[in-house]
Formats: sequence, structure tokens, C-alpha cells
Amino acid sequence: MESISRISSMLETARDLTLEAARDASSARKTSSRMLPQAQLKKLLDSRSERDVLEGLRRVVTMSSRQPPSQTLPFFTSVIKNIASPSLPVKKLVYIYLLQHAEHEPDTALLSINTIQKSLTDSNPQLRALALRVMSGIRVPVISQIVSLGIKRGVGDMSPYVRRAAALAIPKCYSLDPSTEPQLLEYLSLLLGDKQYFVTGAAVAAFLEMCPNRMDLIHPHYRSLIRKLVDMDEWGQLATLHLMMTYVRKCFPRRTKKVRKPLANATSNAKSTRTTKGFYDSDSESDSSQDQGTEDVVILDPDLELLLKACQPLLHSRNSAVVIAVARTYLYLGTPTFLSTAIGPLISLLRSASDLQHIALYNIVQVCLAYPEPFVKYYTHFLVGSTDAPHIWRLKLELLTLIFPYAPARLQSLILAELSHFSHSGSQDPGLVREAVRAIGRCAQSSVTTPKTSARCLRLLLAHIGSADAHLVAESLEVIRHLIQRDPDNHRTTVVRLAKHLDAATSPQARASIIWLVGEFAGLDPENNIAADVLRILAKGFADEAEPAKLQIVLLAAKVYVHHINANPPPEPPKPAESKSSHSLLDDFHEEGGFRDLHLDSPDQSTMKEREILHPTEALYQYILLLTRYDTSYDLRDRARVYKALLSTPSSIQLASLLLLAPKPVPQTPSPSEMRKGYVLGSASLVVGQEGGVGGLKGYEELPPWVKEGEEPDPRLRDEVGLTATNVYEAGGGSRSITASERLDAAASSRVPDLAVSPARILNGVGVGAGVGAASAGKEKTLDEWLEEGDDDDDESEEETDEEDESTEEETESEGGSEKDRLMK
Amino acid sequence: MSVVEALYIFDEHNIPLLEHTYTGRPPPGSTILPLYLQHPSPQPSLIYLPNTTPPTLLYSIIQDRLLYLSPCSTDTEPLQVLEFLHRVADALEDFLGSPLLASKIEGNYDVVAQLLSEMVDGGVINCTEPNALRDVVEAPSFMKSILGGVGLPSTTPSPLNPSNTTFSLSSRPSLPRPIANLNNASPVPWRRANVRHTSNELYVDIVETLHITLSPSGRPLSALSHGTIAFTAKVSGVPDLLLHLSCPGGIANTVALPVFHPCVRLNRWKERPGELSFVPPDGRFVLAGYEVDLLGSSALDAFSTATKGAAGPRLNVPATATVIPSLGPTGADFEVRLTLNPRFMGKAKAPSPLPSATGSSFPRTGGLGRGIGGSAGFGSQGTTASPSIEELVVHVPLPVGVRNVAELRVTKGPGDAGYTAGDRCIEWRISAREVGMLMAGDRGTGLGAVASMRGTVVSAGVDEDGDGGGSGGAGELSNPYDYDDDTASSYQAPEVSPPKKEGPEADARRVRQNKVLMPSCATVSFSVKGWLASGIRVESLMVDQKKSKGLGAGVTPYKGVKYLCVSRKGVESRC
Repeated sequence: MESISRISSMLETARDLTLEAARDASSARKTSSRMLPQAQLKKLLDSRSERDVLEGLRRVVTMSSRQPPSQTLPFFTSVIKNIASPSLPVKKLVYIYLLQHAEHEPDTALLSINTIQKSLTDSNPQLRALALRVMSGIRVPVISQIVSLGIKRGVGDMSPYVRRAAALAIPKCYSLDPSTEPQLLEYLSLLLGDKQYFVTGAAVAAFLEMCPNRMDLIHPHYRSLIRKLVDMDEWGQLATLHLMMTYVRKCFPRRTKKVRKPLANATSNAKSTRTTKGFYDSDSESDSSQDQGTEDVVILDPDLELLLKACQPLLHSRNSAVVIAVARTYLYLGTPTFLSTAIGPLISLLRSASDLQHIALYNIVQVCLAYPEPFVKYYTHFLVGSTDAPHIWRLKLELLTLIFPYAPARLQSLILAELSHFSHSGSQDPGLVREAVRAIGRCAQSSVTTPKTSARCLRLLLAHIGSADAHLVAESLEVIRHLIQRDPDNHRTTVVRLAKHLDAATSPQARASIIWLVGEFAGLDPENNIAADVLRILAKGFADEAEPAKLQIVLLAAKVYVHHINANPPPEPPKPAESKSSHSLLDDFHEEGGFRDLHLDSPDQSTMKEREILHPTEALYQYILLLTRYDTSYDLRDRARVYKALLSTPSSIQLASLLLLAPKPVPQTPSPSEMRKGYVLGSASLVVGQEGGVGGLKGYEELPPWVKEGEEPDPRLRDEVGLTATNVYEAGGGSRSITASERLDAAASSRVPDLAVSPARILNGVGVGAGVGAASAGKEKTLDEWLEEGDDDDDESEEETDEEDESTEEETESEGGSEKDRLMK
Repeated sequence: MSVVEALYIFDEHNIPLLEHTYTGRPPPGSTILPLYLQHPSPQPSLIYLPNTTPPTLLYSIIQDRLLYLSPCSTDTEPLQVLEFLHRVADALEDFLGSPLLASKIEGNYDVVAQLLSEMVDGGVINCTEPNALRDVVEAPSFMKSILGGVGLPSTTPSPLNPSNTTFSLSSRPSLPRPIANLNNASPVPWRRANVRHTSNELYVDIVETLHITLSPSGRPLSALSHGTIAFTAKVSGVPDLLLHLSCPGGIANTVALPVFHPCVRLNRWKERPGELSFVPPDGRFVLAGYEVDLLGSSALDAFSTATKGAAGPRLNVPATATVIPSLGPTGADFEVRLTLNPRFMGKAKAPSPLPSATGSSFPRTGGLGRGIGGSAGFGSQGTTASPSIEELVVHVPLPVGVRNVAELRVTKGPGDAGYTAGDRCIEWRISAREVGMLMAGDRGTGLGAVASMRGTVVSAGVDEDGDGGGSGGAGELSNPYDYDDDTASSYQAPEVSPPKKEGPEADARRVRQNKVLMPSCATVSFSVKGWLASGIRVESLMVDQKKSKGLGAGVTPYKGVKYLCVSRKGVESRC
């Protein structure tokens, strides 16, 4: 969804003018930076008048917004003095200052703690929350216990606003002093069960920050979290979905059952099964032994299904991150059916600002790699526009090639037309041309493509060879070479066509590429091969070729010669002389001594015979060697020497054929994003790719593997029986007003059922997973912790009942008052 | 998991405006900015900087010419940070007034600092809803003077009771939501409490952005219209609104892939597409976004029957441009032809010659209180009855090899064609008045007005070589350092091909070389007020008196509707 500021800029057409005017104004504003001398500023801060103090604080905050804290540090004491000011605006500004500077002056900052602590009991929830936030934000380790106490108070606050601040303070307190962990976990567990979606979102964020692996804390709240998911704010939804990724993978084993699929549409199903498998390749090892007639259907745990269904409304979220998070949930946790509902919303992300669009495209490509078919109908969104930035069109082209194999024939021709438009238009940068040509190549290579379409791709590419654009020609030939290498037998005629294009091709690279291809296929179909003829023609213009082409001509000559020797081994009896036409030529090189080395190596007197019976191929080879011998390029001369040495003796012929005629590996050109395939959808590592190093960026979390069947936690842990009673404060915070004694009763009773239930749970654990010692051990441990925590709770609550009584009474009174008001209304 | 470590804002001259550190020790803005600027423009929104300590992921957006940067040292969800940056921009604009200018930020650092510290708590995004922020941060006073002292005087937070309405949105599972004594927090998370307005007003602005690609034959390859419904609610209390959209062919068949503000009740939309039921936030917000495929779902089938040509899927585009390349003896000339749709003649005279198929007539439904004050907002130039084209600009992007465009002139019709040597783009501007004149001159034919522009490309190579017919790789010469490589190839070329001859053969070769220099497309930008490509219109906007709270009895808010269709280089014709 477009942000409102972008829309208003469209609606307000006079805006550009305003901006111009403002720029003028801004040049003026630079000169009149209203900086007061330090002494005067101090005086303002020390003033008794609230207005002056506020003015002073504004100036200090202004200074600290643009300069490092060292500039505003001298005012520390003067500012802190005002912390006790009754005025809220003053307080807020002091707090902001304190948050930024406390670390530099820890000792003086400690002086302010007392006042902040007092604010924790202020009647204004906004101030209470603010105080809690500031207290936890001051990074002075000494106060960790005070902060922890403050959080405790905040957790029991009636205002969700304060409870939210308490939730967010928990990870801050933890990083300040990790030893406070047990208390904090307790608070966190309470907050996770909060009735207000406003609070739980923050609690989940705190959980992820502090202890993302304590899944045992989540079990009792799992269902309530999922119910609240729709109502949380977008950031809470993101945190919850993030949590659920790990939770589900660790707590719900993947169960599949084999279902006989209907025979009628067996072919289409085969396709879908295959994609499903690729999809969950990390977890379905057993699938390999799959029968042709069955397909695996994932059986969803009812609790997991709850999550997947709760995500559905989020697909209409205005926040693109939420949409991606839902898609990620469906991709890694759900079924293809669920994922297909997320495809449209993913495409709708392409409407947003180009910065979001870029990231969204990476994610779309990632989903498309696993699951291309549903994207086909959105092809119009992937057409490249002339205004697209390089990082955007690159991904769009990739998407087009990914959907290509699955597209209907008409769409395939549309995509090819699109790609060829960009490949030969050359209007944009060479990069686009290159990518477009490569994309055509990928379309042609795809396993699903019919030979006819492949041929069409090839025709498109062949048409480029005569172009004046060197980039285009070189790139096209590169791709053609790949295509031919993948399937040499069917491309004999293609090589012939390419050879015909030699006259048209002007770029040295292109010529070199064609010559190499001809050489590579010289051995095929020896009776009817064009390689020798091509060599004959090239030999005429050898002197005029550029160096890359010359190198390839020499190589071609060597290859042709090797084939020739292999076909007619040299020690054969001499054939009748047939090549008198080139005799004069041969005389030349022999007189120049081109063969002298050969003489030394082969002492038998065959030279004279050879001279007479020289086959045209050999003559050509010798001629080329002779020409290279006097070439200016030493690289060329060196190579010629190597070939000469290699091919001079019959004994080394075998070695030469190994060297020259070695089968080349078939080049693989996967889709560029294949390299990123391992990264989790929605992560930054997916966008950064290999630059981020192996294993992703710092903080990148691999997707945990599915828990094995039988090792998962007992699903009954997620039952919400004891839950309502444990949240004691909720009763106070809720609309019902109860007395303190009632609360105590409730607290006591809540513990009894817990204790009663727990042993049964242990039994269950042992009973169910008899062979799974680890799991039951883990459960026992949690139970112990639980009991310990319970004891602590008892002690603490007993100690604190007195002081709490008073405050609760106050609270209930005010609560009652508001209740009355409400009734009156 | 700390998402936002710091936020840096720079103005259009890359002068630092603001640095706000939330958590950790991110590298300061002064070290990050040069690294950001190192990347060629346009910079991607996520840049990985491995050479900073610690290695940093840098997120960036540019909004209203201000550059927002946010560094992050760990792997987080990129869209989360980027969305947050957009929300910051929105919140700042909401508080400081639109347009957001550097000077406004400089003048209100105290407000900005409060906002930023409310939005993120310890690196975790806390609250980004502008209305919720209004509850806790006081907007600067000049805003108050403009709005007439509207809003909560948060200096003295009175323990006012919030309006105790429970909102169980039909779309979401109805939770028992305890209405705690929130003093100044609102029961609806996106609407601030105790809204009071002296004049109650509701405005609907529907903006559609066109993205149309036309093939060389003039057939549309894709035609998408991205719509956004912006809503401005200035109504006291907690109103419950029902917005009814309609369009020829039915909303359900037209509108695709909608997204909604959280306030919209999803189930209502699913049951009855076109009806948006919601409790709006106070002020201005984006209610929904959607897209419309103007070609319809059967577009692909039309491609097979090539004979249909442009008439295939009927498409109503206000203006299109076509490029005719490779003209003249050497193929160095090109012509750009601009065609204006006669429907968008403006209100100059007589009603539009074609009956408006898209039905953008002025809605006058009974339920609209005082009626929709459409024309009030439209200014003088365009109305729903006779929309007119404004801000018409044709852009012709040029390939890299083009050094200059000689003899650039508008051959027929009005406007200024501008090009400065070295640019990658020709710009042809036609003002609204000139469009009107052009249209008026062409009245009666019913085919629409045509204007054209011609130019000659000058390649980078030709100037250097004089008569250098052999500059084969003209494109490469644009970089002077390539010169050495290039001479080799360029002297090669004439020798391979038959020796240079005067006459048609040489011309043909030139044509081939110049072909690389031809523009391959032209884009048209414009804005049309009072018309939407999709034909969507607001049928009615009703305040549900039963469900609404705090809006005095008998108060009917003033309602206004505005339609705007824009193209930002969105209509692209290839050749």
C-alpha cells in the first residue's frame, strides 16, 4: 500500500513550487542557526520559570539531534535538575536527554533514579510508562534490581500502555544484568498471557529478543496468541509470526499420509507432487520411495491449522513485511493450498514504493523458484518498464523465465517477444541486453520446454549475430554455445548455420566463438563435416583476423588435423597424390624449414614420401602453423609451438587427441537466484546473497528442522485450563472489580490445580514417549523450574500482599469509579 | 532481534538533519553517508556494508527529497525496517505539516525527538500509528493554530473518560476487550481519543496510477491501474462509516488484490464487495489500495489474433506516444508522435463527443448529505463531466551511445522539447493550456489530436572520426579509455567488409549502425482530474448513526470526493 505522504504528493500539484520556495528558505536558515552561548543556555535551564526551562530544553534537544552527545554533555546537571518538574513537557524532554546521555555520566544519572521511580506511581499511565521506559533505557548496570522491580510493578499495572512498556523493558533489563533472568522470565510469561493484544505483541517481541528458544514458555499461550494475532498491531504480528516459525517446527511433527490420486488427471497431479516435494525437500526424506500412483498429503495438526487460518486476514495487511511473513509461514509450515492464497497478496506488493518493491521481488522470486505455476497468471506484473532500475528489471526478467515453462503457448511467445525486444533494442544499458539474452537462453534450456520453442529461442538468438551491437553478438553466441553443448546431436545444422554467419559477424569475439564451436563439432559425422572447409576459408583471411579469432583458427586447425590423423593413421601406405594444386604452397614452407623438428623426431625417411602425398587437411594445418610462426603475438606463436610439438610424432597423437578433443562438460546456467535458494524467505540474507558470507549475515537464523515424530512436546501443554486463573492481575485490571482477599484466594487456588495436574503430565510424558528419554527429561526439568517458580511466587506474594493491598484498593476504587461513570453514561 | 538501531535523516543536499540512536553502537551517519553515496544511483534500498565495524546493513528510503537511513548490524526482515522508515516519514509529515521540509524538522526538534522516542523502544518498533502518537506527543503549536486548537491538551492530561465503546469488528474474532481506565488512550488503537472538530468533514480521494505498456504495433501488452483510496476524516467522536464504491462491470470483477487499512472490516468487503465499513482514524490516511487490470483476464487470448491490432482490448488511454525510428537517408532521425484521446478535451466547449463509457458522471446520490462537493476541489481545469489532461510530458530515453540530439524540434503541435547534450532522456513538455489549444484545433475528426517531434541522433563516434563510416562499435567509444581497443576493431571492420562505397550500400550500413542509437520507447506522463481509468466511483458515503458515538445528533458532515488519474512515465510505447 502506498504511504500517505506519497499519495498526498500526487494530489498536491503545487508542491514542487513549495519545495523550490523552501529550498530558498533553507539556504537562509543555515545562516541564522540560533545557537545560544553556553552560559545563557545554562541560565535558561536553571530558571524558575517553566517556560524558560522548556525553551532551554528545546534548544538542548535541538543541539543533541545534530551533534554528538559530547557537545551537550556540559548541561547534564542543569538538565537533570528539572526531572522533578511537575510539567509533563519538561519531563518528557528531560527523559529524552537522559536516555541519550546517561551512559556518559552514569554517576550523576543515578541521582535521577529516585525521581523516576516516583513517577512509576504517578496517576497518569502515560507518565508511568515513560518512567519505566527511561529507567530501563538508562544503561547503568547498578540499577538492574530497581529496574526489575519497576518492571514487576509495571506488569501488574492496570493500564495496558504501562504493561506494554514493561514488556519492552524486559530485554533491556536482561542485557543490563543477565542475572535477573529468572524474575524476568516470570514477568514475561505473565505478559505473554495478557488479555490485551496491545501488550502481547510487545511481549512476543521481548521474548524473541531475550530468550527465543524457551518454547516451554509459549505452550500455554499458544492458542491465545494465535487468537490475538489479527488484532495486534503490525509489528506485533511480525514478531508473532517470527516466533511461530520456530515454535511450529519444534512442536509439530510433519505427518504425511499417502493418498491414491485419481487417475483421470494423473499427469497434472504428477507435476504438483513434484513441486510439493521440492518444496519440503528438507524434511521429507522418506518421499523418495514414492509410488507413481500415490501422493503425499500433509496432515495438519489442529493447532497448526489454527495458526494457518488465523493468518488469512493478514494477507490484506497494508504492511508488506506482514504479507511476506504470512507467505513465509505458508511456505515453510503450511500446504500448497494455503500458499496459493498468498500469491496474489505477494504480487500486490509490487504496487508499493520502489524500495519496497525491490525487496518484495527477491521474496517473490524465492517463492516462484519453489512453486512457479500460480505466478503465471500475474505475468503482466513482471513485464519490464523503461523506468525500472537495474536491480528491479533483473529480478523481473528472472521471474519471466521462471514462469516460462509453465506458461501457455501464447504467453510463451509473448515472453519471448518481450525478451527479444530488450535484447535487440539496446536502448538501455548493455546490462539489460546481456540479461535479456541470457534469459532467452534459460527459457530454451528449461527441461519442460518443447523442442519447437527451443528452436524458436535459437532462431531469435541467431538473428542477433549480424547486429552492430558487439555486446549483443558476444552474449548471444555465448548462450548459443551453451545450448548446442547441451544437446550436440540435434544441433549439427545449427553449427552449419553459424558457420554461414561467419561472413556477417564482425566482432572478433563473435568470430572466435563461432570458430571454436565449429572446431568442437569437427569430429561429428566425419564424412560430411564442414570444419575443414571453414578452415580453408579462414586460412585465406588469416592475416586480417584479430587476435582472439586467430587463436581459435589455430586451435581449429589443430583439431581438424587431429581428426584427420585419427581417421587416417600416418603409417599407412601412401595414397596416390591428389593435391597437386597446392603443391607450390607446400614447397614454400618446406623450404623455410617449418618441418625441421619433425625430421629430428622421426628419423625414418618418410618426409620425402609425405611431401608427395600430403592430404589437403594436413597442408592447411601446416600452412596455418607457418603463418602463426611469423605473427606478432607471442601468445599465438607459443600456442602454435605447443600444437606443433604435440602433433609432430605419431606417438603423441593419442595425447593430443586427449588434450584437444576432450569432451567438454555441459555448462549449467541456473537461474541467478538459485544461489540464494537456501535462505529463509523474508530475511536480509536473502537480499544480500553471497556478499553476506557463507551461512548468511550475522544474526541470520536457519529454519529449524521439523521435530521428529514422537519427540514433540505433549500437545496437552497447549490446553488453556489453568491459564485463566494464573493471570491474577488480570482480574484486577479487567472490568470486574474484586477485593484483595478474593485475589489472594484466586492466587492460592490457581496453584493447586497446577500441582495436581503436573504429576499427571509427567506420567503422560513417560507413557507416550517411552523410548524417548530426552524429551521426558526436558519435561521434568521444566516442571522442577515450575515448582521452584511457584515457591518463589508464594514467598514473594506473601511478602508483598501488604503493600499490594493498599495499591489494589486504590486501583479498585478508581476502577469502580470509572465503572460507575460508564454506567451513568 | 533489535530492528532499528538508529535513524539518520539527511536533506536534499545530503546535509545531516538528524541523528537518533536507539540501541547499540551503530556507525555514525558521517561514516555511513559516503558509503551510501558510493553506490551508483538509484541506490538499492538495502545495501550491505562489510567494511564498517560492525558490518552493517543499511536501509534507505527517499521521501520528499529527504533521505532516511537506518543501519542495522544483524539480519532482520528488510521490509520491516523499510516500512518503519515510511511510517516515520508519514508521522513526521502528519505532525509537522505537508510537505515535509528540512526547515520544519529543524524548527521542531523537540517534537521530532519525542516522536522518534515513542516510535521505537530499545530497538523494537513500538508504535507507529499517527493517531496513537497524537495521544502521547503534542503537535507543534503552529499546527494547533491552524486546526483551531483541536486535539487533546496533553499538557494537563485530564482524567477524562474515554468513550467506552467496544469495537468488535465483524471480520476479527470478537474478543472480550476490557476497557481499562486508559485515561488518554483510545479504545480503537488507530483512532485517538476525544476527537473534537468544529466543522465535520469527510473527503475521499481516489488516485489511480497507470502502468501501460504498448507493443510496437500499438497493442497493449499490459495495462494496470494501481488505485489508492486516501481518506480524510475530520469528524468528532467515533464515527462508523460506510463507503460504497461502484463501477461498471461490478467491483468484484474489476478490483483485484486489495489491501486495507486495519480499520476496514474485511468480512463486509468479502460479503459485499465494494462496501467498506470502518471506523476511521482521525485525519488523513490511506484507506485501501487495489489494482485493476484494464485489459481484463482474457487479454492473453487477444494476442493470438494479430489482425485485431490496437482495437483488440479496448483501452481508454488519455495520451499515447509512438516512436518511429530510423528515418532519413542514414537512419539517424526519429519521430515521436503524440496522440491525445478526444475524450479528454477538457471543459473548453461542448460536452465530450463520446458517451463516457466508464461512467464517471457526477454522482448525486441521496445518501450523501449535502452532496459531494466535487467541483470545489477540482480547480478550474478538469471536472468529472469533462476531464482534461494536465502536466503532459513525453520522455524519450536514449541509448548510452548517443552523444547529442541534433535538430530537435516540435514539427507539429505545441510544447517545448528539451535535451541537453549528455542526457539520457529527451523531455517534451506541453502545458495544460497548450493541450487545450491542440484539442480545440482538432475538434470534429473524433480521432484525437496528434502532435509530433523530430530529432537526429548524433553518435559519440561520428564527431571524432569525421567521416568515420567505420566506427563499428560506436557505443563503446563513449568511454574515452576504450579508445585503444576500439581502433583495433574499427579499422578491422572496413577491411572485412567490401571496401567503402558511396551510395546506398554505405547508407544501409549506417542505418544499421544508427539503429543501435535509436530510442526504443517513449513514455507519457500526465494527470487527469475527475477521471479514473478503472471507472470506479464513490456511490455513497454514509455515517452509521446507530454505531457512531459522539457525533452530535443531526450533524451531517460535509463530504467531498476527488478522482485523479496520473501517469508517471507510466504509459510506455515501444518500437
